[in-house]
Amino acid sequence: MWAWIQKFSSPKYFYGMSAKLIPWFALSALLIALYGLYLGFFVAPPDYQQGESYRIIFIHVPAAWMSMFVYVVMAVSAAIGLIWQIRLADVIAASSAPIGASFTFIALVTGSLWGKPMWGTYWVWDARLTSELILLFLYFGYMALQASIEDQRMADKASGLLAIVGVVNIPIIHYSVEWWNTLHQGATVTKFDKPSIHIDMLIPLLLMALAFKLFYLAMVLVRARNEALYRDRNRRWVRELVEKL
Amino acid sequence: MLKAFYYLLLRDMRLALRSRHELANPLIFFVLVVSLFPLAVMPTPERLQEMAPGVIWVAALLSVLLSLDRLFKQDYEDGSLDQLMLSPNPLVVLVLAKVSAHWLLTGLPLVIIAPLLGVFMALETSSLSVLVWSLLLGTPVLSLVGAIGVSLTVAVNRGGVLLSLIVLPLYIPVLIFGANAIDVASDGMSVRGQLYFLGAMLALALSLAPLATAVALRITASR
Amino acid sequence: MNKRSRRKMLVAMLVFGVGIATVLALTAFEENLLYFYSPTQIHAGEAPQNRTFRVGGLVVDGSVRREQGSLAVQFELTDNAEVVPVTFTGILPDLFREGQGIVAMGQIDSNGLFVADEVLAKHDENYMPPEVADALDAAHEAGKTGMPTTY
Repeated sequence: MWAWIQKFSSPKYFYGMSAKLIPWFALSALLIALYGLYLGFFVAPPDYQQGESYRIIFIHVPAAWMSMFVYVVMAVSAAIGLIWQIRLADVIAASSAPIGASFTFIALVTGSLWGKPMWGTYWVWDARLTSELILLFLYFGYMALQASIEDQRMADKASGLLAIVGVVNIPIIHYSVEWWNTLHQGATVTKFDKPSIHIDMLIPLLLMALAFKLFYLAMVLVRARNEALYRDRNRRWVRELVEKL
Repeated sequence: MLKAFYYLLLRDMRLALRSRHELANPLIFFVLVVSLFPLAVMPTPERLQEMAPGVIWVAALLSVLLSLDRLFKQDYEDGSLDQLMLSPNPLVVLVLAKVSAHWLLTGLPLVIIAPLLGVFMALETSSLSVLVWSLLLGTPVLSLVGAIGVSLTVAVNRGGVLLSLIVLPLYIPVLIFGANAIDVASDGMSVRGQLYFLGAMLALALSLAPLATAVALRITASR
Repeated sequence: MNKRSRRKMLVAMLVFGVGIATVLALTAFEENLLYFYSPTQIHAGEAPQNRTFRVGGLVVDGSVRREQGSLAVQFELTDNAEVVPVTFTGILPDLFREGQGIVAMGQIDSNGLFVADEVLAKHDENYMPPEVADALDAAHEAGKTGMPTTY
């Protein structure tokens, strides 16, 4: 088991393997996103209250989900890197941060564009918006710490610990809607009782969520590949790779 | 273990009390920042009263932030942090001692002087006690959480801005509930909910933050 | 005390601390963390005088009156118990309509009229086409609620 993990998490193996996986993830993300957008923009019916403007959820909600998902992935792989000293886990964590920050940013921008016609204002300081903003700051803090420690191993461990500390924030984000009774609506898909979204709207939403996940996978592999190459620039397998060119 | 806690606390207090000007600086900063606000806006009592909770809390936050460097930086530079980490006592306990000393030297003075600033900011007498309570529960959290940030950046040269980037987002929940408590109190409503929440954060920070700080020190301060 | 029992004690203290935090947080949830006042609270005199605050409620059906030639609008807010008259000058959000939940920010004047500086619509977490909403209303009246799929 251990030897198996060692083999698959070696940067050399990862470098070769990810090259084969990236096109598949990228292509399926593109196709599913196109289909999801088609369903969302042309097939799904308008909303009974919000008319056509609600269609921004097909971008906004998947982005918001990803912003939290990527942070959890980052914290978990950082924890794996801290505890089991697997270098690849640190690489994944470090490569995830900018992608997660971008998703958070997209969620904030689309959310405020949606808020203007619906709530009457671009920005409200309610719990959910605020937590999403804090999440963006947490990403920035992680990236800043990662960048400012020279020693790569120490940078990975220190910023990894910061990510784990920040993960305390994630449940606060998710359940903040129920904690503070504010302007933002309650959770739609993930709440437990009866569903509150029509099936024709749910399908494109889930398709978009899947497309965002696949897109993230492709992007994180691209970034992690470069990162692994850069970190191992003085190792033999990289030199052999370059000599083959 | 308790002895180690006590002696370390005593040592930090004694060291700080020997350089009194350094001790007074965060306090002066706190008063100064708060008194800038009435100068920047038209100081009508209503407006000041509305701004008071936020202004006082943000000033307290920044003043604790500026004093955080004292927590580990000097010990790291003169090597006494290495000694502490080599000691047979659990690092968690030693961290807790240092953080306690830090709070007694910076947080507690802020709490004591806060009512005066409340008067500056035209807060009603009835909300002054809530101001003190919210700071009393909130400032230890600032010291505890700040310790994690300092220990992560202790090896970074000129880590001041970096420290605020890391620590300030983690301070936000304390700020929200602390300032909100005073705000709600000046409306004459019950603040128990907010104070319970601050208490919960204090209990959580008290049990988890020293652990995280100890782990962080093992990562960054080991040479 | 040896290393092992010391570690046990630290873990016990940690669990104890987290437990206390949970209890306190749960107690806090029991208390009301208010974001806006209800019309009932305003009638009971709980809302502050001469201070900006938020009031939340449903727009009373048939109460919206727009002034000709200006952006001024008057309506009533209810929490199904008491009613508060509100006046507002400006552009209302799309979701503002009768029967809709909204949050208004402003001050209450000496006649008990709420003068709003800002009106925000509070939209619910339901997304469905208009026909479904109609059908749902009909079903609701017939004594049934809910939709078939679960997720």
